[in-house]
Amino acid sequence: MPRRSFVCRCEDVTLSEVDHAIALGLHEVEELKRYTGLGTGPCQGKECISALVKLLIDKGLADPETVQPFTARPPTEPVTLGALAAGLAPDAGDGS
Amino acid sequence: MSDTDRALSRRGPARCATALRWDRDQLVTAREGDTVSLALLDAGILETSRSAKYRRPRGAYCLRGDCGTCLVRINGLPNRRACLTAVHEGIRIRPQNRLVAGADPSALVDTMLRGGMDHHHFMVRPRVVNQLMQGVARNLTGLGTLPDRMPDAPAQHRVLEPDVLIVGAGSAGRAAHAVLTDGGCDVVWVDRRDRDGIVAEANAAVSDALLDHTGVFGVYVAEGLWAAMRDTPGQPAVLYSIKPRHVVVATGARDPILAVPNNDRPGVVAARGLLQQLRRSDATLAVPAVVIGEGAYATALADALGVEALPPADVDRIEGNPVDAVSLRDGKGKRECQLVALAPLPAPAYELARQAGAAVRWHGGGFSVQRDQRGRCATTAFTVWAAGDVTGYMGPQSAADDGERVAAAVLHSLR
Amino acid sequence: MIGNTKAQAMGRRDAPLPDRVDVAIIGGGIMGLATAYHLSKNSTLRIAVIERSYLVSGASGRNGGGLRMQWGDEGNVTLMMQSIEMCRGLAQELGINLWFRQGGYLFVARSEAGERRLMRNASLHRDVGAPTRLMTGAEAREIVPQLDTDQVRLAAFNPHDGVVFPWPFVWGYAGQAVARGVVVRTHTPVQRIEVLGDGLRLHLGTGEQLDADRVLNATGAWSIELNRALGIELPNHPHRHEIMSSEPLKPFLDPLVVDLATGLYFSQSTRGEIVAGITMPDTGPAATEVDLGSSRRFLAHLGHALTQVMLITSQLRVLRQWAGPYDVSPDGDAIVGPSPGVPRLYQVCGFTGHGFMMAPAVGKIVADLLSTGKHHPMLDRWDPSRFARGTSRRREDMIIG
Repeated sequence: MPRRSFVCRCEDVTLSEVDHAIALGLHEVEELKRYTGLGTGPCQGKECISALVKLLIDKGLADPETVQPFTARPPTEPVTLGALAAGLAPDAGDGS
Repeated sequence: MSDTDRALSRRGPARCATALRWDRDQLVTAREGDTVSLALLDAGILETSRSAKYRRPRGAYCLRGDCGTCLVRINGLPNRRACLTAVHEGIRIRPQNRLVAGADPSALVDTMLRGGMDHHHFMVRPRVVNQLMQGVARNLTGLGTLPDRMPDAPAQHRVLEPDVLIVGAGSAGRAAHAVLTDGGCDVVWVDRRDRDGIVAEANAAVSDALLDHTGVFGVYVAEGLWAAMRDTPGQPAVLYSIKPRHVVVATGARDPILAVPNNDRPGVVAARGLLQQLRRSDATLAVPAVVIGEGAYATALADALGVEALPPADVDRIEGNPVDAVSLRDGKGKRECQLVALAPLPAPAYELARQAGAAVRWHGGGFSVQRDQRGRCATTAFTVWAAGDVTGYMGPQSAADDGERVAAAVLHSLR
Repeated sequence: MIGNTKAQAMGRRDAPLPDRVDVAIIGGGIMGLATAYHLSKNSTLRIAVIERSYLVSGASGRNGGGLRMQWGDEGNVTLMMQSIEMCRGLAQELGINLWFRQGGYLFVARSEAGERRLMRNASLHRDVGAPTRLMTGAEAREIVPQLDTDQVRLAAFNPHDGVVFPWPFVWGYAGQAVARGVVVRTHTPVQRIEVLGDGLRLHLGTGEQLDADRVLNATGAWSIELNRALGIELPNHPHRHEIMSSEPLKPFLDPLVVDLATGLYFSQSTRGEIVAGITMPDTGPAATEVDLGSSRRFLAHLGHALTQVMLITSQLRVLRQWAGPYDVSPDGDAIVGPSPGVPRLYQVCGFTGHGFMMAPAVGKIVADLLSTGKHHPMLDRWDPSRFARGTSRRREDMIIG
């Protein structure tokens, strides 16, 4: 197997792929996320965001004082469509 | 498989033996209380899926429910977290996104694309090739297949309006819960893990009031609610709409990835998660392992696991599938091992606090939730407090102290 | 490797701006960039595109990526037939993977009114040569075996309709435009437009100025503010539309399914996620500002509707939810052409949630108008002055969401 260093294992995004996107002029977490796919898989960026930001800071592309992570969209934990559908129903009872 | 082939040695009073069924027909013996991830790891089954793009073998990493690669099919349901699911008699586990067991022919993709794949510009022309590529890609991506069966019962909805919601039953959450219930508050306390995992971490009894298996999945400020799902195995799911006056966010910290070469190999796990799983199962490592990480944090974990800590800068690459060695740079040789435990500094699990309106700031290893002196991080439809590692990794003892302090401030504010 | 294309620079935050251009396009979404691309292909005009944030930050990066010719009005059907035809070879033309997959659109009707709509539309589609097929619920189940079709009175399927991954359209148009000399400047808001004797002056958030003979307002739901500051009152307004995607699954769903009873739509992306949205009941008064918030209420309505029509999805998990702004025009038709009172400012907005799928065709139409004066028939009904003149008329009843 070839040697690869992954930043995002959910979407198979390697360090060199992030470097490639940076070379195209993309420097922000939101645009790097969209171009590389990093942070869009099952973990929704929980694993990769730190490695990405560290890389951007090391390259002088992000200011540690002001850099922000990508938007933390819900759901942050898995939730099924069936459970969500129950949200249209009134409270089921004993309140426990 | 004989005990001598096991990756773990079990200590203490033997727990009941049980078994899980792996990949259709393989029976894997396990102990009651093990998670699926730990039972598989013990049996040397480390590869549980193939990755989306390069088709590389993947297995559990963080062992704490945060990463995306321990997802397996459990009892006919796709994409379930092996690391948070306890083994029970008759449980059926299947790998996902594999064509065949063993030498998967799709692994050729990885070998052929040695230099990497730019998926935006891969096989674009001519159109017929592009169409063919898209058809193949569609079938190689995706994880699980549709569930085998319809749900047994519809989910239920519960609306709760407590004085305080505590999210998390780690050190800070447990300490906060004790203070707030002693103070007579009406508290709802949730954690996404099962009770066994929390008790193992606490090394003490945990209040029956805790709603385990309950993950808060979103903060909807405009609707004034914190939404959670309780997903207890074998029971109908419950959707909670929680409308608290105060919230203590004690979501702790996650183990991010360390970008060392071949950090995706099955057998590469997070050191903190591994240690917690071992404590839960009362087990120690019976196979050689190493920690990759630096500083006091990594050293302490390596000591607790009884293995050597290697600084990331020394690592040339992780080798083998599953891992069998770590080779080092500059003639420092090689360390034979069957597990590699990465020990990056945990990064605060800031997402819920941020959704609630809290500010976050980079602090070196991750983004920490910013709060005022008393511990408040946001005031909207509810007053939100942050306690413990979510404000910057501080470790269990300090997190407990912090949880106690913040809870006292919440009590004060309620009076 | 044979077949691979080369990544193109797609615009930069530090792209040098000239003092003056022939055409300045405000908005680096698919409308602005498709127009810039076609202009750069068929003219020698000097062009600059100004984007306030990063590319795909707006509605072009937030939509579900559906393309259909199943509309209720002949003009829209014909336009979308053109757009879909253009999409077939667009990946090769733009040199980037667009993941365009023609799995069809399957509309299902559970009411008599819905049934009548589908029948009327199918006859219209036949007249203009769109291959829409009417079918029973049982036939619809052959296409989507998991679908509950008990109450389905009629279904309509068009195999040429399909789905795409929206983001690379924007990058592809931008990359080709840049390669042809268009300046694409990102992270630069336009704060004010000043009317000069011989053109318009854009005052940029960076302190720079850019003069242009003609300016396109291609900012979609964000267009209202820019227009109002110039005294241009148009009746379009932003509308928050929420959407979600599920955990990735192996492929099982070929078409994009629309249930007319609830306004639910869902499809499966190349990566395997179910991407779904729904028409929300009781959305309240029209919004005046862009709101991109997510709600639990949306997830409840969507979860309810989707699990009703496909029970097996009740144990599927949601991966993420987000919102995008529809730029709603009161008669459902786009607002394209010279602005009332400021003829050098062209509007390319009001696409009411369907701009993305129309953009491949519209970019060409607008570029032709600007470079040669060629007047596509749709431009009459898209005329921004129609509201003031009182000739606005609703023709389309197949707007979803």
